[in-house]
Amino acid sequence: MNLKMLSGISLGRVAIYLILIVFALLYLAPLYVMLTTSLKDIEEIRSGNLLALPNDPTFYAWIKAWSSACTGSECNGLAPFFWNSVKIVVPAVLISTVVGAFNGYVLAKWKFKGSELLFGALLFGCFIPFQVILLPMAILLAKLGLANTVSGLVLVHVIYGVAFTTLFFRNYYVGIPTELVRAAQLDGAGFFNIFRHVFLPLSTPIFVVTIIWQFTQIWNDFLFGVVYSGPGTQPITVALNNLVNTSIGGKEYNVDMAAAIIAALPTLFVYVVAGKYFVRGLTAGAVKG
Amino acid sequence: MGHIQLNNICKSFGSTEVLKNIDLEIQDGEFLILIGPSGCGKSTLMNLIAGLEDITSGEIVIGGSDVSDKSPKDRDIAMVFQSYALYPTMSVGRNISFGLEMRKVPKAKREKIVAEVAELLQIDHLLDRKPGQLSGGQRQRVAMGRALARSPKAFLFDEPLSNLDAKLRVEMRTEIKKLHQRLGTTIVYVTHDQVEAMTLADRIAVLKDGVVQQLGTPYEIYNDPVNHFVADFMGSPGMNFVECVVFNDKLVIESASKSYQLAVPCAKAIKDSGLESVLLGIRPEMLTDPKPYDDSGFVQEVCFDVEVVEPMGADTVAIGKWSDTEVQVRLSPESGEVAGEGFTLQVDTSKSIIFDPRSGNRIR
Repeated sequence: MNLKMLSGISLGRVAIYLILIVFALLYLAPLYVMLTTSLKDIEEIRSGNLLALPNDPTFYAWIKAWSSACTGSECNGLAPFFWNSVKIVVPAVLISTVVGAFNGYVLAKWKFKGSELLFGALLFGCFIPFQVILLPMAILLAKLGLANTVSGLVLVHVIYGVAFTTLFFRNYYVGIPTELVRAAQLDGAGFFNIFRHVFLPLSTPIFVVTIIWQFTQIWNDFLFGVVYSGPGTQPITVALNNLVNTSIGGKEYNVDMAAAIIAALPTLFVYVVAGKYFVRGLTAGAVKG
Repeated sequence: MGHIQLNNICKSFGSTEVLKNIDLEIQDGEFLILIGPSGCGKSTLMNLIAGLEDITSGEIVIGGSDVSDKSPKDRDIAMVFQSYALYPTMSVGRNISFGLEMRKVPKAKREKIVAEVAELLQIDHLLDRKPGQLSGGQRQRVAMGRALARSPKAFLFDEPLSNLDAKLRVEMRTEIKKLHQRLGTTIVYVTHDQVEAMTLADRIAVLKDGVVQQLGTPYEIYNDPVNHFVADFMGSPGMNFVECVVFNDKLVIESASKSYQLAVPCAKAIKDSGLESVLLGIRPEMLTDPKPYDDSGFVQEVCFDVEVVEPMGADTVAIGKWSDTEVQVRLSPESGEVAGEGFTLQVDTSKSIIFDPRSGNRIR
């Protein structure tokens, strides 16, 4: 390798790395600022440099954000709303996943008259802008007596989640050979037995994908949360908004930052721990050969 | 017990008629093969017998009872699929016993049956493995084991050997035949491989476009085909078809620029039909090296220009032309080595079959 080639390769490489590093820094800069700000005290924030590291890191802001910050007229921190979100997300993820699994199973392997039409209609749910249905859904919840309740929010998330979960499961199950269903039928298994013994054991990747997806979507949701919850039943996203907009005295940026990170932690955690399973699940084939 | 009756079966998918008025009677313990080209409806017919598809019209009677409306699990039939369809997450042992499990057979009895079946098929050392860890031949045995464990009235095999390599296919063919002799259960077997059909069947049903062309023993199908399609379909290399002019109750062919007149057994039928030209069907094994003299009147020597030879080991197939039609003949390997222009070919027309060139029907 002569010197000219050497410098030629290096130059291109250097340029690529430079660009990547610049974008990485730009992308991570807000997170950095949030973290450092959350660990500073107010005086330091007001007088100091946005990008400077904290002189005397303290967890005061975090504790306040969790337990005593003011969200509107209450000052109990984010804690109660964190648990609200948990109460909404867990049932909504479980129900929408299970319903999606059965829907996907039926649509993939038990073709009936109009099944394709039904699938199309369900799919439509993936593409509806949720703003469009806000009012009709509000009326429906009121009629059901579920306005401003956690159950009401769970119902809404289940309904709109089922569109996606059905799609995921149906596409996955289509890849399982139909001859397996026939063999099981001849063996004497019915609809539920075939699902339980043949499809379920094969479904781990798609369950992982669906649960991660649903968790992220529902935890991070703001629109349904802000419209369909009342005082006391708000999810953490809504509470965060309230917290940031409530300033008694001056704005406490460190508390706001800490609160934002607390709200984002669960989904960040899920991706750190299970992110690779998500990707694996998306590309997994059901049955080889 | 395992007697199957198909009465006037019709099956349509939407407006496409796939099976037309199929009438078949399968004796108890018989090995029946359904054979035909792709799209002839043989797999569909199999699915109808199994109950995996609904019959458009007609009825199916198994062991004396009408099962046309019964679900697959109530028909007491077991099926081996082309792709084996083994449950990938279950062990081999559980795959075999799954049907029994679904029928609530007690565990001890299930284990006993699995052990018996595994021993019969020589897969007892594989019972704890998963299908993904088995070779093709082993998977096929497990699929058969699953069917055997149910002790059904009849077995349905849907092209079970197509996914195996050539050598394994021959081995498994013999195994299936031995199994049939040992168990004596009715078997309905679908294949497109006519060697399998000839070697395994008690009777063969040749299908084309949803219609049974002929039902008969391998001997009948091979030596007494009812029409051009059946004659052409069975036999490898296939039957030669040459259009010949009728002259003086004999058929005229041109070979190596010479003209020959061939006598055929059904000369009277040809005369009665009044046709001026007919299709002569003659199998390659009837066109050979010259042999010791035969005075039946149907053996003759002709001059033949060999264009291509295909050595097959035990004999050699040589290709040439009669009346501008390609013809295949069977020669000994030694003759095949030296055959060329002007080869002396013995023609035996005693088993030749004559067809009407337009309709393809047999002239008897």
